Amino acid sequence: MRLLDVNELNLDIKVHGAPTLELLKAVSLHIDRGETVALVGESGSGKSLTARAVLGLLPSTATVTGTIDLGGVQVLKANGPELRALRRTRAAMVFQDPRSSINPVRTLGAHLIEPMMQEPGADKAALEKRAIGLLASMGLSNPEARMKQYPHELSGGMLQRVMIAGALMNDPELLICDESTTALDVTTQAAVIELLSTAVQERSMGMLFITHDLALAASIADRTYVLRNGVVQEHGETRQVFEAPVSEYTKALVAATPSMAGAPKTGAHISDSSQTPVLRVENVSKTYYLSGQPPVEALKNVSLAIPAGGGLAIVGESGSGKSTLGRIVAGLEGPDTGEMSVAGGEITGSNAKERRLKKASRVQMVFQDPYQSLDSRLTPAKALQTVLKLHYKLDAKAMNARVIELLESVGLEEKHANLYPRKLSGGQRQRVAIAKAMALEPRLLVLDEATSALDVSVQAQVLELVNKLRREQGVSVLFISHDLAIVGEICDELLVVQNGSIVESGPTAQVLNHPQHPYTQTLLASVPRPRWETNPHGAAEPQDADLEPAKNSSL
Amino acid sequence: MAPPQASGAKDPGKPVLAGLKLAAGKIGSFIFTVFVSSVIVFFSRWLVPGDPISFLLRGRSPNPEAIAEVTAIYGLDKPPLEQYWNWITGVLTGDFGRSLQYRQDVSEVILGRLPVTLGLVVMSGIMIAVLGLAAGICASLLRGTWADRAIIASMSGLAAIPSFVGAIVLIAIFAVQLGMFPSFGSGTGFWDMIYHLILPSLALALSFIAVVGRVTRSAMLEEFSREHVEVARSRGVTPVAVVIRHVLRNALGPILTVSGLLVAGLLVSSAIVEQAFGLAGLGSLLVSSVDRLDFPVVQAIVLIVVTAFVAINTLVDLLGPVIDPRLKAGEGAR
Repeated sequence: MRLLDVNELNLDIKVHGAPTLELLKAVSLHIDRGETVALVGESGSGKSLTARAVLGLLPSTATVTGTIDLGGVQVLKANGPELRALRRTRAAMVFQDPRSSINPVRTLGAHLIEPMMQEPGADKAALEKRAIGLLASMGLSNPEARMKQYPHELSGGMLQRVMIAGALMNDPELLICDESTTALDVTTQAAVIELLSTAVQERSMGMLFITHDLALAASIADRTYVLRNGVVQEHGETRQVFEAPVSEYTKALVAATPSMAGAPKTGAHISDSSQTPVLRVENVSKTYYLSGQPPVEALKNVSLAIPAGGGLAIVGESGSGKSTLGRIVAGLEGPDTGEMSVAGGEITGSNAKERRLKKASRVQMVFQDPYQSLDSRLTPAKALQTVLKLHYKLDAKAMNARVIELLESVGLEEKHANLYPRKLSGGQRQRVAIAKAMALEPRLLVLDEATSALDVSVQAQVLELVNKLRREQGVSVLFISHDLAIVGEICDELLVVQNGSIVESGPTAQVLNHPQHPYTQTLLASVPRPRWETNPHGAAEPQDADLEPAKNSSL
Repeated sequence: MAPPQASGAKDPGKPVLAGLKLAAGKIGSFIFTVFVSSVIVFFSRWLVPGDPISFLLRGRSPNPEAIAEVTAIYGLDKPPLEQYWNWITGVLTGDFGRSLQYRQDVSEVILGRLPVTLGLVVMSGIMIAVLGLAAGICASLLRGTWADRAIIASMSGLAAIPSFVGAIVLIAIFAVQLGMFPSFGSGTGFWDMIYHLILPSLALALSFIAVVGRVTRSAMLEEFSREHVEVARSRGVTPVAVVIRHVLRNALGPILTVSGLLVAGLLVSSAIVEQAFGLAGLGSLLVSSVDRLDFPVVQAIVLIVVTAFVAINTLVDLLGPVIDPRLKAGEGAR
């Protein structure tokens, strides 16, 4: 039976003085009762907009044509009270970031019962009882006490469970998940996905699952729609869409998704272990003391080495200390105890400035979010010149040539040199950030989640670029990531960290294919896999790793 | 890996204790601030040129006996520290000493003037809160429209008007032209006083209404852009409830903080407005006492004003964790 029928949905946004943006073009999709449908696409594809349109949540500047039929209600023709009734009782949405989805100054109980309290004849005690029951069914301990807690007292995974409980408060017929697990750690994601599928099956709800992650869609959805620039490229049974894609775009998307491409890659082995290692870290520890909170041991006795030209990946979940390690290696923070040397030997210099410049020319860092790591008022050319001027004496002509050379080495063209960052795409910005890092010809490049904020197709290109730099310029790479599926693209050595300690290390192929430590096994088992494949590792079910009070969230 | 904790919820006793600790700290720092300002207020008398004794003797021939008598009455011959000790212990029991110009207890002089100033400040405060919040909320709800722009423009204009200019304009329009309100004095009896204080309060409030209105507008707009507001909408919460519970409720923090700081300006400007409307309040008393070197009165008024200002800001600080529970946990708003 049809639950949701979106037919020929067009959505234009007209802002005064700007050209009309056609964000959705003749989008048609349907969901039957009890069916899970994935809507996949990259940023700007219109997938979130489609979800919001189903709930009638559209910006006032939008003009919409087409029809949306949700269980017999014409959403686009409904008035305010009808829409609110629909949102309270028939369809519910779970958003991406649970921490910003719940009002921080109100209790979780108030959040849970608020919509239903507005229905005529609401019974507060009954609603609270129901909310407590739902919290318990979401696997949250002590649900009565949770009702009086505030969002900051819970971890992200726990909050997303609260969000799901809130969405289920009045047995909706349709559950919309908009990137609902993207902000979570991989083990937490696995647990939340498990909860969602159980809830959907138990209540025979329909689910619209929106994600950028093809592997995740393949692990949960019966059918899949692929959206690009507001146009449905392809739809059908999930397995058919991913295994035998018809449209060129879907083919490219599948090819760019590392975990969909079959066995994990093992990284190019181009290191030269005969020379002294480029990076040597010995027994490094770091503890943060935050006022009013117990000290956080971010790193405990960590030792590692990267040979010249080597690629080492550090994998761990949030709060594992992996970013702290990256910052220490890049010299942004000092270790409490332990020793570290980059590119061999002590850094000497007559004054602080000289030492600083020397250190910078040995190791450079690329950060996660290219939207924040570039100065919005500096063009790529200006940004590169600023770096180059600090370190080299170049005349104008040589400077210009070097800037162009650097931009070309990261796959940008001369025409990008004088564009402000806002005119560049996310991938182009990250290329600029890499060019800045490579300008000093460092021996070691630290990439801290450098591809996590990018779309998969862009991510594939940036990973390829890093590989090219490794091959051609012999730079060593320390690649920090939460994503086990992509580390094999770059690194031949892999290190798994948990709670500030290294739990497993070795060649990438060995660790990924024969994990020894239970934590590594859990991590690998939590990576989403297409439903039609069986779990190759046979590891235990993901544990409720997120059932701890919020802590370390600031690290 | 840590096993799922059965009692992940915090011990309910703990937050209360933390809250008490926080409150004790705030009150401690309040007492310290008031103490330090009392020291400054008291000893600043030695920095001021002029001698209170010669004023007391009103230009009569400096008869050594008279000087000795006056000096003894006011304890001016004792060492400064002992004078401070006598003064501050007196203040703590409500004895601020004797006024030089009125030859009365300072507390009596001040009590006689207090109702007018209190009425003026309280009425202004109400006008600022009601009109400022209303203007800010309306502007944020109508953002981008001509009405929003009109409100912003008029608030920018109001903020630029000094209170004495506002007072003169209001007198010219409402007292002289329209004859709706009295332009002078504070009347007799409670209701008459309120009637007399409407114009002065408005004159005092005008520029503060603009400040509160602008802060409210920007705080509201900031909160409107939060994701949880859209989440509330997506869950079918009515627009009125969204604005009150998810936007205004969260915007209160910055509004309250700014309001607390405005109190100082309010107390200072009240002196000007009292002069303009011929009101016998603390402000005009302060001005005349400074003029006549009536240092016990000046010290008392300054101490009262400082204490009131610090007390209100301590109250704002104490309200902070009630408005934003994240402050209680010591995490702060990031």
